[in-house]
Amino acid sequence: MIDILSGYTFLIVAFGTVILAFASGVIGTVSVIKGQSLIGDAIGHATFPGIVIAFMLVGIRDTFSLALGALILGIVAFFIIQLITEQSKITLDSALALVLSSFFGLGMALMSFVQGNPNFDGTQGLSDYIFGQAAYMLRSDVYLIIAASILSLLIFALFYQQIKIYIFDPIYSRSIGISNPLMNFMILAITITLIAVGLKAVGAILIVNLLIAPAVIGQLWSNRFFHVLLIAGTTGAAAAFIGTYISTAGDDIATGPAIILVLSAFVVLSLIFSRKGLLRRSIQKRKIGERT
Amino acid sequence: MMVEVLFVLIVTAMATSLLGVFLVLRGMAMVTDAISHTILLGIVLAFFITNDIRSPWLIIAASLVGVLTVYIIELVSQTRLIRQDAAIGFVFTALFAIAIILVSKYAGDVHLDLDVVLMGEVIFAPFNRIEILGFSIPNALWQLSIILLINIAFVLLFYKELKITSFDPKFAYIAGFSAAFIHYALMTLVSVTAVAAFDAVGSILVINFFVAPALTAYLLVKRMGSMIMLSLFFAVLNSVAGYYTSFYFDLSVAGTTSFIALITFMIVFLFNSNGWVSSRIQKARQKKQFNRAMILMLLNEQSHESLTQEEIMSHFNLTPKQFNRHIDHLLLNEYIEKQNKKYRLTPRGVEFTHYTRIKYELPEMI
Repeated sequence: MIDILSGYTFLIVAFGTVILAFASGVIGTVSVIKGQSLIGDAIGHATFPGIVIAFMLVGIRDTFSLALGALILGIVAFFIIQLITEQSKITLDSALALVLSSFFGLGMALMSFVQGNPNFDGTQGLSDYIFGQAAYMLRSDVYLIIAASILSLLIFALFYQQIKIYIFDPIYSRSIGISNPLMNFMILAITITLIAVGLKAVGAILIVNLLIAPAVIGQLWSNRFFHVLLIAGTTGAAAAFIGTYISTAGDDIATGPAIILVLSAFVVLSLIFSRKGLLRRSIQKRKIGERT
Repeated sequence: MMVEVLFVLIVTAMATSLLGVFLVLRGMAMVTDAISHTILLGIVLAFFITNDIRSPWLIIAASLVGVLTVYIIELVSQTRLIRQDAAIGFVFTALFAIAIILVSKYAGDVHLDLDVVLMGEVIFAPFNRIEILGFSIPNALWQLSIILLINIAFVLLFYKELKITSFDPKFAYIAGFSAAFIHYALMTLVSVTAVAAFDAVGSILVINFFVAPALTAYLLVKRMGSMIMLSLFFAVLNSVAGYYTSFYFDLSVAGTTSFIALITFMIVFLFNSNGWVSSRIQKARQKKQFNRAMILMLLNEQSHESLTQEEIMSHFNLTPKQFNRHIDHLLLNEYIEKQNKKYRLTPRGVEFTHYTRIKYELPEMI
């Protein structure tokens, strides 16, 4: 066990995933409370063509340019979703499904083009970004994750009061001069950044879980915003650590899915045993029943 | 043989978009997205047992997992502890994660290619053939044609029920329709269709085939019957366009078709009669007309009968360019006249303000 914990690959991967999961847990809480949690899913899928386009332009799998490509396409997808929902009767739900699948389709079309073209080498690594291949994470990947996570948390801390007011009382926030659309964009820009840097670790499909599940756990245990954030960040980080350990210890278990499964187990446990959970609810119901 | 690929694509698109109409109307697009991911778990589990990628058990098991996904999502959101969108997001990723772990752990021993399951490739459809009445046709075409017929039968049989439960679930409940039965029947068919379509279009893109044509049609028409017809039309259109584009540039057929579906949607979104472009034009036109009417109304007020350019400009906060555009138009139509650098209403202009007052129910000037 000690071997694994002090192994170089494990340290690199664990460090990256833990920090990523902490930041995603904190930022994801905002989207979950606002009822926009599936935007993360749509953007996660929409980053895939960004990866391929960046690869086509740069020609090598360079960590930073691929993340930048993912970021740009994520933002484009976000604006298209906004345009569709604001300018037509189409609901957010449908717009998300449309945009996520079409962008993913574009990614696949471009990918087939790249694979069939002898001018591009090393295309195999590109599909790692769909499912995540944390085991192949490089130092540069981890540095990028750390930089992006710390920057995200810093921005979040800096605008903490404004974000809090924006989430819970949008009308008041507008009346004291906070621009709600700007706030919304800022939160989503941070979310997209975290998705873009985290693709290699957990993959485009599963990354939304890192944004949603910790927030759900936090909300189950507390009603105070700050506590929810702390619980979300910590459980996310803990799940990332355990998940990475499981995947390193067991053979042929991918890291991303392992983290997601640990997080999901946390959600189920919280759903049953937390302060607002089902167990307590049924006990209270019985008590009320006995009293009457 | 290549034209068979097109047939498979068209039949898939029609079978999916027919159900897609109801998914869009019921706001269940993302639930369908969740299903299209989790059926992978059913496919993997059934594959481990039967060891045959063409086994009908795959379809049954995967459909069961699809319906189970809907059930779990509803169960979780009914506790009111987790919002529905968050429930969708974490339930499907959890089930999908199990599937990926199973595949990556055991796929070495069994031949199951994750990429093919997820991405699908309709190009390979003709290689897997079946004899029907002496004709050799692709297996996928045969399966999907049957499913298309089942879907059509379902929609025809339960047209009234589908309509009422989609638009007014409360009334449907009072009137004695079993909304739950229709709901689960629909979700079962969605799962079966998604599974059958997976090796043609892949489990991620199948959601596009469900919703994109239906959404495009939804922008154009208001009646459900015409929405169904139109979405079938867009399904065929996207498939044909996607097929030929992908062949010309040598791209993935399903991927290209999905992206072309977005392009079709955006064209309709921007250019339909109350779409983005025409509503922009209409707004600009209304603003122009309103500005001109306001200038005339100002000139009709007492003590404002004749005004200089500066006075009008400062009153409405106009730039010289805007002012000239409005005034040129008004002069040309003889609503106003210019005397000694001052503007005043002509009799025609006075008449116009009179009718404007009536139109907006404003009090008449004394």
